[in-house]
Amino acid sequence: MQISKLMMVNAALMCALVFTDTGCKNADGSWRWPWSKDRSVLGTGDGVNDVGSGFSGATDLNRITDEMGNVISGARFEDVLQPVTDIRFNPVYFGFDSYSIPPQEMPKINAVAQDLLQNNNHVLVVEGHCDERGSNEYNLSLGENRAQTIRSILVNLGVAADRIQTRSYGEEKPAVIGSGEETWRLNRRGEFALYQR
Amino acid sequence: MFRNFCLSIAVLALLSGAFPGEEALAASPLITVVKPGAKKDAVSLARLSATGPNGRLFVQTLTRDLELSGWFTVAQNGSVNVSGTVADAGGGIQTRCDVAWGGKRFGWARVSSGQTEVRRQAHQLADEMVKQIAGKKGIAQSKITFVNRRGANRADVYVCDANGMGVLQLTRDNVAAVGPRWAPNGHDIYYTSFLHGYPAIYRINQTGGYRKALAPFRGLNTGADISPDGSRAALILSYQGNPELYVLSLSSGRIRRLTNTPHGAEASPCWSPDGRCIAYVSDATGKPQIYVVDVASGQSRRLTYKGTENVNPDWGPNGQIAYATKRSGYEVAIMSASGDSSSRIIPGPGGECEHPSWAPDGRHLVCSCRSALYLLDVEGDPPVKLFNIPGNWLSPDWSDK
Repeated sequence: MQISKLMMVNAALMCALVFTDTGCKNADGSWRWPWSKDRSVLGTGDGVNDVGSGFSGATDLNRITDEMGNVISGARFEDVLQPVTDIRFNPVYFGFDSYSIPPQEMPKINAVAQDLLQNNNHVLVVEGHCDERGSNEYNLSLGENRAQTIRSILVNLGVAADRIQTRSYGEEKPAVIGSGEETWRLNRRGEFALYQR
Repeated sequence: MFRNFCLSIAVLALLSGAFPGEEALAASPLITVVKPGAKKDAVSLARLSATGPNGRLFVQTLTRDLELSGWFTVAQNGSVNVSGTVADAGGGIQTRCDVAWGGKRFGWARVSSGQTEVRRQAHQLADEMVKQIAGKKGIAQSKITFVNRRGANRADVYVCDANGMGVLQLTRDNVAAVGPRWAPNGHDIYYTSFLHGYPAIYRINQTGGYRKALAPFRGLNTGADISPDGSRAALILSYQGNPELYVLSLSSGRIRRLTNTPHGAEASPCWSPDGRCIAYVSDATGKPQIYVVDVASGQSRRLTYKGTENVNPDWGPNGQIAYATKRSGYEVAIMSASGDSSSRIIPGPGGECEHPSWAPDGRHLVCSCRSALYLLDVEGDPPVKLFNIPGNWLSPDWSDK
């Protein structure tokens, strides 16, 4: 009872707020996202789509909740926003099996922070990558930690945390195909993708 | 408490004879051939008449199944004789045969339609022979799922029979796909796909009939492994900040976090056969190593200390954990749930071998070696290449049944 009441209040609030975790209910009972790219990103609320996310495909479970009973949300920038294609940032390179940032790579992250601080309508996805060596499942997690490290630095530089999301490609999307030290160095990287909100 | 029951899995497996070998030899009355590796009975198919193309497919499938079972060789003369006819009928076959060994026999009569059915019937007969003659669980009817990686962000999920026949492409996305794993129901496969431009966990059917997202949240969503009773998924999520291990109840949709490593990354969760523990990879100490967590208490314990990296744990029906260990390169090893002090390397075909997965018989493993998939045998039979299709094949997972 209490939870559903809370969620209704929450949903009403969300109509005004962008990038929070619930959608708005349409007259027909379906859920609408204020920033949806098109009307096809509609959840019917019947379990076909996840009520709490902007995910556009069919979901397995109606909703997933944490230990406190809160709905865990997707609301990924990739699902609901248009990419900014005319601004590119240089990739940040990492050491082998490491997710700490070498000092010489810091200015690249500063440049990204400057853009986000100056353009309030920009949001960011930090993308983590690994070289081909080692377990590809572990590399997915390692790439995510690389992206998260860059994200923390951006937050420390003053960018609001909810403006930065992460995705890891692990070893699945190398910048350079092949093997050898130089190839591996160029593939251990963090990349930046801006989205317009 | 925790330590006790994780150990008890291994002890139980020993007591119940889940390890093949000594007991198998005692149970099997006919040991006629000794090859490097395990001892085998010779099977003769000389008196099995198969004239049409489907009949020949049946015999070809049965031959490979029997040899890959680990309990038989197929020879002109053997102590096990399969006699009768496999006649092409309609689009399939009509089988009438008799399997005889050491004064015992069983009859086999089936009708089937279509090539898939022909193969499936050969698998059924092979498993029946393993069961009746060797007294063991066969693997011919089980399946293997895996990934074909074509290039940067280009891959799809495939499935094939345990003998490498019937290779079938399940997804047609041509986008990065990671770590497909069978659900215990033998029909569903969970895997990580970049279908929407970020890693999310999906459930697909082994026929490619449907696809649904299990976890499309912020950050990383990967590694779903379904508990033996089918009720829970172990997965790696990072919506709270960095990759951690979670358990999701598939009935209530509620998740519970099991690890708390603010500076570490977790990967590759895998349930114990009794559903009480999860083995997983964590780099909390700097390099990826294998740990096991007791799901009820949340207590974790490190299992691996040998080698610089230890990854890809797969907890087998025999209580043994197969994994990839990095010594000079990656090799496949097995250990008990008490840790790698008792670990044993399982020789591959040469070169790096990764990502082992147990067959349901607890004797065979499938792994990826230099872009191909190989079957390994902990009893010592030489490695066998699963199939000969060119390409980059990786991340195999053997079904539970």
